Amino acid sequence: MAVINKFDPAFKDEVMAEPGGENLMRCYSCGTCMAACLIRRQEPDYNPRRVMHMAILGLREAVLSSPLIWMCSACDECYPHCPQDIHISELFKAFRNIAVREGHTPPEPAAHVNERTCVACGLCVEVCPYDAVELVEKRVLGHNRMVAQVDAARCMRCGVCAASCRSASIDVPDFGDQRLLERIQQELAELGEVLA
Amino acid sequence: MVDAARHPNIELLTYTEVKRVEGFIGNFKVLVEQKPRYVIADRCTGCGDCAPVCPIEVPNEFEEGIAPRKAIYIPHSQAVPLVYTIDLDNCIECYKCVDACGKLDAIDFSQQPRQQWLDVGSIVVATGFDSFDPTPLLEYGYGRYENVITTLELERINNSAGPTAGRIMRPSDGKMPQSVAFVQCVGSRDERYNIYCSGFCCMYTIKNALQWKQTYPDAEITIFYMDIRTPSKGYEEFYRRAREAGIRFIQGRPSRITQDEATGNLFIQAEDQSLGQVIEMETELVVLSTAAVPRADADDMGSILNISRSPSGFFMEYHPKLRPVDSPTDGVFLAGAAQGPKDIPASVAQGAGAAARAARILSSDTWDIEPIVAHVWEDRCVMAQGKKCGICATKCPYNSIVTTEGQAARVTPAKCHGCGACVAECPHNAITQMHFTDAQIFAQLHALLAREPEKKIVAFMCNWCSYGGADTAGTSHFEYPPQSRGIRVMCSARMDQDFVYEAYRLGAGMVLVSGCHPQDCHYITGQQVGAERFARLADRLEKMGISPQRFRVEWISAAEGAKYAQVMREMHETLQGLDPEALREENERVRPDLERRLRRIPEIPDVAEALETVVCV
Repeated sequence: MAVINKFDPAFKDEVMAEPGGENLMRCYSCGTCMAACLIRRQEPDYNPRRVMHMAILGLREAVLSSPLIWMCSACDECYPHCPQDIHISELFKAFRNIAVREGHTPPEPAAHVNERTCVACGLCVEVCPYDAVELVEKRVLGHNRMVAQVDAARCMRCGVCAASCRSASIDVPDFGDQRLLERIQQELAELGEVLA
Repeated sequence: MVDAARHPNIELLTYTEVKRVEGFIGNFKVLVEQKPRYVIADRCTGCGDCAPVCPIEVPNEFEEGIAPRKAIYIPHSQAVPLVYTIDLDNCIECYKCVDACGKLDAIDFSQQPRQQWLDVGSIVVATGFDSFDPTPLLEYGYGRYENVITTLELERINNSAGPTAGRIMRPSDGKMPQSVAFVQCVGSRDERYNIYCSGFCCMYTIKNALQWKQTYPDAEITIFYMDIRTPSKGYEEFYRRAREAGIRFIQGRPSRITQDEATGNLFIQAEDQSLGQVIEMETELVVLSTAAVPRADADDMGSILNISRSPSGFFMEYHPKLRPVDSPTDGVFLAGAAQGPKDIPASVAQGAGAAARAARILSSDTWDIEPIVAHVWEDRCVMAQGKKCGICATKCPYNSIVTTEGQAARVTPAKCHGCGACVAECPHNAITQMHFTDAQIFAQLHALLAREPEKKIVAFMCNWCSYGGADTAGTSHFEYPPQSRGIRVMCSARMDQDFVYEAYRLGAGMVLVSGCHPQDCHYITGQQVGAERFARLADRLEKMGISPQRFRVEWISAAEGAKYAQVMREMHETLQGLDPEALREENERVRPDLERRLRRIPEIPDVAEALETVVCV
């Protein structure tokens, strides 16, 4: 049994003070977001409505340490359907920002930059839909130079940066070119067996 | 209230009870009893010198018993008229108040109840509601745990003119609670107590919660609800404002409240349906949003005023959609929560509506009443011959028939609405209905069944529903067999079993009796009277030897044109499936029995003459 008084009633105010979290308390748990969610089809445990309700109740640690807050892909399939006009992906970004500040990390690694080969062309910065990549000056191999840097809290692991990088310097771990090729070949082999 | 008291055309009779109501629209006589205040109203200035010297303290009803009052008291500081009253049940007659009153000499212990008859044209019933007592709901601990209170108690604690001058404090220790939980639907939407939704509790709870939150922003406020119902203008916006203010709404009805003996705090157990988990919450105060229930004396009031009550116990309106302000008794109107749970805007609207409806009567010299009313042939009524009967009075939904031993039943035409239940139920054919006399209906039957009766379907239809349904079938071009023959009466209550017997005696192939769906009857209980009669009749017809498929009872609304056509088609198919020769034989077989049952029909005034002049078409 959950004991509500162990919850943190100020958590909802903290979320609402975070950019993107303003409309948290509008949620009346209708479940429209849940019905529209594409992630839920792959991840049965994921339920945006429930996460928002946990935040309203003040289940601070449960929300911030939950792998669920990192699952939203910001496809915004739910947003146009929400009768309370809550931008849920923005709200989840607010959860993530608080979580990162508190030392939590996403369960899956964000896009990774190979700083040795990055030429700082800025293409990834341009294409990233979540403004998760920026160019920063860093000391690489003994020289100060511009390289791409990924903000793990914002990266949604969509892989657009990896697909567009001209120097193959940015990659999403587990979804790297090599790993994807292996998976394609494996699938094809299995398909071949079935056909044979 | 002050304005009403000052108005030259309004006479305010407070502390007065209605004892009896006689008469009818425009001509009511009302017996009222003014209770003794033991204070002379004309002399009392409301100065209040008497109350402080009174040694008696009893719980103050207006303050929900939270604060005391004296035995000489005014209900609350804004009472109209501002006149003190002595509660003689608690007064010890020490006469200290008499001394305190001094020169005004307003106290008079010799006052007696005073009865008077009033002549009134119309009556508005605005007797309000009671608040449900949550003590029987043991799971919430009301009455056992001091810090479980009702909303009305909170309203008093929260009121700046109340006993705490608006400082919220909890009963057990007088401390300002930092956390509060509201529990919705206490005693309403509950099969054990009241099945209806009280309607306005969601809004007053949100109001109290928001008011609290605005005064004390750090307070932890939780509302346990099943459904939040905020249907009126601006209400949903108000609900959203409450959510945005940080009030916690948990969907789930608490199953149990327990108390911590040491702190007086309460533990609420509920399922949070959004979380999908059972939760427990500790809170310093619990407020129960109790149901609005009919006044304890609603039954007495209903019989005094001659108005019926809905299944929920509130006074019943004439029609739930089209005449929500009128009671079924003409000239008596309903306003506010006496008719059903209602919030302030709805009560004000209904009150204004009722006043306007009442004023129409007061400003008219004459009043048109229903021409279709019941009429008693006094020479035929067995009550006049000293026998016991009175069936007609028990069947009348409007109490418009008075029966006195040794006298013929008496109908008050101004109260009769013309359903015809009494006419059909009278075992001695001593009542008729204007415009729907037995003579007229028998004549119609004879005309319709003059030729090839065994091929005909006779349909008795009520004016408001099934006749409307047949009409809809026609205007919508739903085809049904031309063998059907309709006879319209005002209500299924008017469909005398003799009409059905006569139809079969004349050789009709099929008989349909049809009327409104039970909840739609335009005559309160008319349909029920009909339905009970037809249930008995179906059994009797079968025992007499009439094939059961030849008699059908259907409830068809005015919108159900398709259903009417379908019923007609089915009955026609059934009729075609019967062997004509067997049908004729069956009719011949039951004819002697039917003739025996109908032997007294020609004695009914006008029937014999009418049947002689029937023109067959």
